[in-house]
Amino acid sequence: MKTHSITFLPDNITIQAAAGKSVLDAAVAAGLAVNSVCGGDGVCGKCRVIVKSGKVTAKPNMFLDRREIQRGMALACQTFIDGDVTIDVPFESRVGGVPQLATEDAIRYGSISDWVGEGALFPHNPLFQKIYLDLPKPTISDCICDQERLYREIRRSRDIPIMQTGLAVLQRLPDILRQCDWKVTALLGCRGGTVEVVDVEAGDTSASNLGVALDLGTTTVVAHLVDLTTSKTLATKAKYNSQITFGDDVISRIMYGATPERRTQLRDVVVNDINDLIAGLVVDAKVKLNDVCMVACAGNTTMIHLLCALNPANIRKDPYIPAVCCPPVIRAAEVGIKINSRGLLATLPSVASYVGGDVVADVLVSGMMRSPDLSLLIDLGTNGELVLGNSDWLVCCSASAGPSFEGGGITCGMRATNGAIEHIQLGRNGDIVQCNVVGGSKPLGLCGSGLIDAVGELLKAGCIDRRGRFDPAACGGRLREGDSGGQEFLLFPSALTALGRDLVLTEADINNLIHSKGSIYMAMECLLDHVGMSFDDLQHVYIAGGFGNYLKIDQGIRIGLLPDLDPAKFKYIGNGSVQGAKMALLSQEALKNVQDQIAGAMTYLELSTNHKYMNEYSSCLFLPHTNIEKFPSLMPAPQKQTDAAVAR
Amino acid sequence: MSILDDAKEKWTGTINEVTIGATKQDGGTRTSVVTVGGAGALPFMNFEGPTPRAPVVAMEIWDREPDDWAQPLVDAFGPVLKSPADWARKCVEEFGAEMLCLKLAGTHPDFGDATPAQAAEVVKSVLKAVGVPLIIWGCDHDEKDNEVLPRCSQAAAGERCLLGAVKEDNYKTLVASCLADGHTILGLSPIDINIAKQINILVSEMGLPLNRIVMYPTTGALGYGIEYAHSIQERGRLAALSGDKIMSLPVLCMVGSEAWRTKEAKASQQENPAWGDEKTRGIYWEIGTASTFLQAGSDILVMRHPAAVAAIRKTISELMVK
Amino acid sequence: MALKALDIFKLLPKTNCKKCGCPTCLAFAMKLAQKQTSLDQCPDVSEASKVELAGAAAPPIRLVTIGAGPGKLEIGNETVLFRHEESFYHAPGIGVMVSDALDGTALKARIEAIRKLKFVRVGLSMQANVVAVVNASGQAAPFAKAVQAAGTLDLPMVLMSSQAAHLNTVLAMCADKKPLIHAATDATADAFIALAKTHNCPLAVTAPNLDKLVPLVEKARAAGIQDIVLDVACPRVPDTLQALTAIRRLALKKNMRVLGYPCLVTNSTVDPLVNVAECGMFVAKYAGIVLAELDQPEQLLPLLTISQNLYTDPRKPIQVEAKLNAIGAVTPDSPLMITTNFSLTYYTVAGEVEASRVPAYIGVLDTEGTSVLTAFASDKLTSEKIAAFLNSDEVKSKVSHRKVIIPGYIAVMSGSLKEDSGWTVLVGPREASGISKFLKTTWTNT
Repeated sequence: MKTHSITFLPDNITIQAAAGKSVLDAAVAAGLAVNSVCGGDGVCGKCRVIVKSGKVTAKPNMFLDRREIQRGMALACQTFIDGDVTIDVPFESRVGGVPQLATEDAIRYGSISDWVGEGALFPHNPLFQKIYLDLPKPTISDCICDQERLYREIRRSRDIPIMQTGLAVLQRLPDILRQCDWKVTALLGCRGGTVEVVDVEAGDTSASNLGVALDLGTTTVVAHLVDLTTSKTLATKAKYNSQITFGDDVISRIMYGATPERRTQLRDVVVNDINDLIAGLVVDAKVKLNDVCMVACAGNTTMIHLLCALNPANIRKDPYIPAVCCPPVIRAAEVGIKINSRGLLATLPSVASYVGGDVVADVLVSGMMRSPDLSLLIDLGTNGELVLGNSDWLVCCSASAGPSFEGGGITCGMRATNGAIEHIQLGRNGDIVQCNVVGGSKPLGLCGSGLIDAVGELLKAGCIDRRGRFDPAACGGRLREGDSGGQEFLLFPSALTALGRDLVLTEADINNLIHSKGSIYMAMECLLDHVGMSFDDLQHVYIAGGFGNYLKIDQGIRIGLLPDLDPAKFKYIGNGSVQGAKMALLSQEALKNVQDQIAGAMTYLELSTNHKYMNEYSSCLFLPHTNIEKFPSLMPAPQKQTDAAVAR
Repeated sequence: MSILDDAKEKWTGTINEVTIGATKQDGGTRTSVVTVGGAGALPFMNFEGPTPRAPVVAMEIWDREPDDWAQPLVDAFGPVLKSPADWARKCVEEFGAEMLCLKLAGTHPDFGDATPAQAAEVVKSVLKAVGVPLIIWGCDHDEKDNEVLPRCSQAAAGERCLLGAVKEDNYKTLVASCLADGHTILGLSPIDINIAKQINILVSEMGLPLNRIVMYPTTGALGYGIEYAHSIQERGRLAALSGDKIMSLPVLCMVGSEAWRTKEAKASQQENPAWGDEKTRGIYWEIGTASTFLQAGSDILVMRHPAAVAAIRKTISELMVK
Repeated sequence: MALKALDIFKLLPKTNCKKCGCPTCLAFAMKLAQKQTSLDQCPDVSEASKVELAGAAAPPIRLVTIGAGPGKLEIGNETVLFRHEESFYHAPGIGVMVSDALDGTALKARIEAIRKLKFVRVGLSMQANVVAVVNASGQAAPFAKAVQAAGTLDLPMVLMSSQAAHLNTVLAMCADKKPLIHAATDATADAFIALAKTHNCPLAVTAPNLDKLVPLVEKARAAGIQDIVLDVACPRVPDTLQALTAIRRLALKKNMRVLGYPCLVTNSTVDPLVNVAECGMFVAKYAGIVLAELDQPEQLLPLLTISQNLYTDPRKPIQVEAKLNAIGAVTPDSPLMITTNFSLTYYTVAGEVEASRVPAYIGVLDTEGTSVLTAFASDKLTSEKIAAFLNSDEVKSKVSHRKVIIPGYIAVMSGSLKEDSGWTVLVGPREASGISKFLKTTWTNT
């Protein structure tokens, strides 16, 4: 097999790759995280690279214009090496940078004392505990074995009916007990109904009991380092999930994970991210990795399957069956997570294929199941999940919103990181009045909240009609014909942008957003209809998910993504996933509550076969809705013409 | 109070009245006009609300001789099928048609590709031949219709015809013609009540008042999807009567063309002996299709066979007796 | 009045024990509300809840059975005014009235004509499913003879006479076949009620309007008759239609038990074309039994089809048979297109192929009634499935070439389909409206 060398810039990494291998595959092999929404099918255009030198064969595609091709630009997944090559991977094609909003978000919601502790909802009773034991020495009269002695002493301060100890610990036990003069610290980890003596450490290490609360998102991974004794959050970190290279959404990743080898690859890639985060947290907090003994993880069903390298194939096939909903507590090392070598990994339970532990965690954090008030929880992100209910009952569903909220499928779309327009305000003729860019530099693209803002503003200014089509008369000089034939609106000319390319919003982009928001709104209607209630019955609307924090309520209502209710009813709960994981970490009662009262009580509604959803979805494809009466605060003054016509 | 009174439903909305055709007084040359709509109750339920206008049957004629029509249809008309004007005259004079629907099938690029000018001539000849109001329907090929229909609209300016049909992503040209030449427009939606409403909104936002729009939610023939069309029409009618002004528009259905495409109308007695007399089967099929749509609230039924037309008109007049 | 899911949920134990097979009590309550399960699946429901739920479950319109055995006719037990609200459930009896005044030959011919009213269309069979015998002669003997002749049809029967005595004679012979006794009037109520009780058969009651009908029904109910059929014999068709609507509305919305029964309509309009139009409307609007003198197949076929179409559950996608269909005068060289078995999809594609005048084969694959995109997304339309179909005997025996046209929306499948099947794959248009052009240009030039 002929091989060639392929050098990646600006990283300056060179590897050998087989002739005919795609540049994308080579980049992955070289450890570079290259963007790919479609997982290498050549249909998203996000893996642009520049061939600096060398021979390649590139398959034609519709994403690159002539200027770009002349510059040597190519799609990494459609370009195959024919000789030694040098490839420049521009920064907009990398899954890199730090997810800006998620990080700020990570800092903002660090405190947990409202939920767990003295006088709070759940008692402080962490999933992992370290107890210092000063054991009475054995004598002729007190001659029980070492293990029994240990258990007896533990049971003096804890009521633990069932305990277990691994062979590795037993092998070390006699020696360590006698070496430390019978003064040791027992490390106890909760394993569902039993408690495991995970390890026995010399002397008193009980003050260093650390855990990690992990939000394993499809797009971003967030980790909080928690002192399990004091309940304090010591450090927080976030990064993009490197599985993105294999597909932006759960479906494409499930399809990628068709073989055990690929599932191992997917697992290793995300575990690598997790280990990076944990290593970073430990450095930031100046603690020892060995003292981190417990990870509590909340993620959607597919993410958990991929973390454990479980076969997720049946999640996406009728009747949509996960392999497991309530995974057992396992040794973190079994999946490759690097903490204390005998440390444990617990995951929050999921409800169904498309409603996972992340949403269950959101429910816990919102408190909606502790109040008789009717509440709706919306988790907006890569997927869109909804939970409706109160202390008596809970129903949930999942709406396939598509990637537009994360910038996917949008011409100048991007994730919420440096360069993303997260807020924009337009005036007459679509002139830009105000614009906030993450990181403060020149704009690179539109992230989800920026996209919603832009469409809301264009609608308000009359630049687009209710279908999202541009009205030339109202757009001033900013409207023009795009390369692919449709109409596009110029937000920023190339001179003002970070990439030196015009930043535009096309009719196709707006159409994608309309379909996404329509899915969510229709899902809300179906959920309410299923239990015979209406939007007016709602007392609270909780918005969760990292993206949800930056969603302006009024814009959300204006485009018909959110129901037209009193803004006071809406509440952001931020990253409920990591907060819920943290609560579980700090309180066994909280985890039990999640398993029995929340996940166990949520009734899942399958939308793909829902009669109402299929019949009425098209009504949501107007801005805000075909039936404007559903949005009374947005109803225009009655058209004089129509009234007169009817009167005639 | 009788028990029947107890069963009355209180409706808050009324269907708009739409007039097709303009007499000399109104700037046209029609000798009669047709007004449809106006219902404030479910079809024929005059005990609970006004049902002032009877549904109307329009007879379908083509701008070229049809080459795939079932034999009973061909026999009913004979040689006039070769001349739109003669055909029109026969429909009105012999069969008493109160409205005609001229389908410009010959303008379709694959089936004749008649030019806009030729189509306009046919329109003029039909307008000259008869005095009843006219529906002018394109060939359902978007690009061609956008060339042909504006010319025909011009040729029929002032006659207040019903022009068909516009779709959600192809309506601006024809609506502009309607506005300029004083016609009424037919909005086509693909068995989707929301798209039907969306078209009404888009067209009326262009300035065409709601009482110059008629809805065509697409017709399915008996046995071939009629239940979808029937339910969509019922849902639309209920929305209108419950106060949704944007849905309070009259509805048209293409009974003849759908019914006569079916096997039940076309198959020979040899192919299906159990199905009965091939000469009348199609007529009964057209009648069955029409009566189902009458109950869903159709205001204009475009039909083909004279015997079916007569039967349905008789049925309607019976139903309208106070 | 049907209870909503949440109301039912409040009456359940709320332990989420899963013994009923549902993951939560709310899921079980939702299924109960949709009548997809029964309360006895829950071992822990309280007696009080059982009573309350049973009371609410009684149907607002009685289910009446006419006839016995496998061919019996069940009408009534409808729950909505419009099929789109939920579904219509019990398709009406549609049949022929046979007069006993017909002489021997004419009677025989009539019966034989009715026997032929059996049809198969789109793979489903239907037939005139009820027969009525009318005591037009006013005498006992001809009535009995006609009933006997009609009996050979083995269909549920409606015995129509104004003479209780004649009915009594006839019922002695055939009561075990549970015919419908038609009909008690104001004057004959006592006698007819006695008949119904003695012979344990359903009873029709008739009056010219609703105000006169109600006391009659009340009388029958008071006497303990449960299986009642209403015949509002209005002189004019519009009045009949209004009565049918009024009865359905009052039974469902005002819970008027006295009108909670299926309806029967007879139509004697002379012009058969108008008669069919009117009967069609009765079928569409709530009639439980429609009787006329029409006995020709071309007359009954549309009526039975209206019934078949409107009584399909709108919540279930209608499926057509999964097989190779030929449109037009096909030859082994004709193009082969693939589509799903969702009826709307199939009819749309077939319609376009017909309109194109290019004879073609349409291969229909079983995707459980889902459209192309839905089937593809939920893995019901896979390249393996299509490949298996392409290489089946059914296709091989008819199509000589190995080129298949797939819907534009599943273009991504072309590579794997070519691998799995060995056929050349052509990607057709995404919208059905492009089929005509495709067949005439792209296919022809392939």
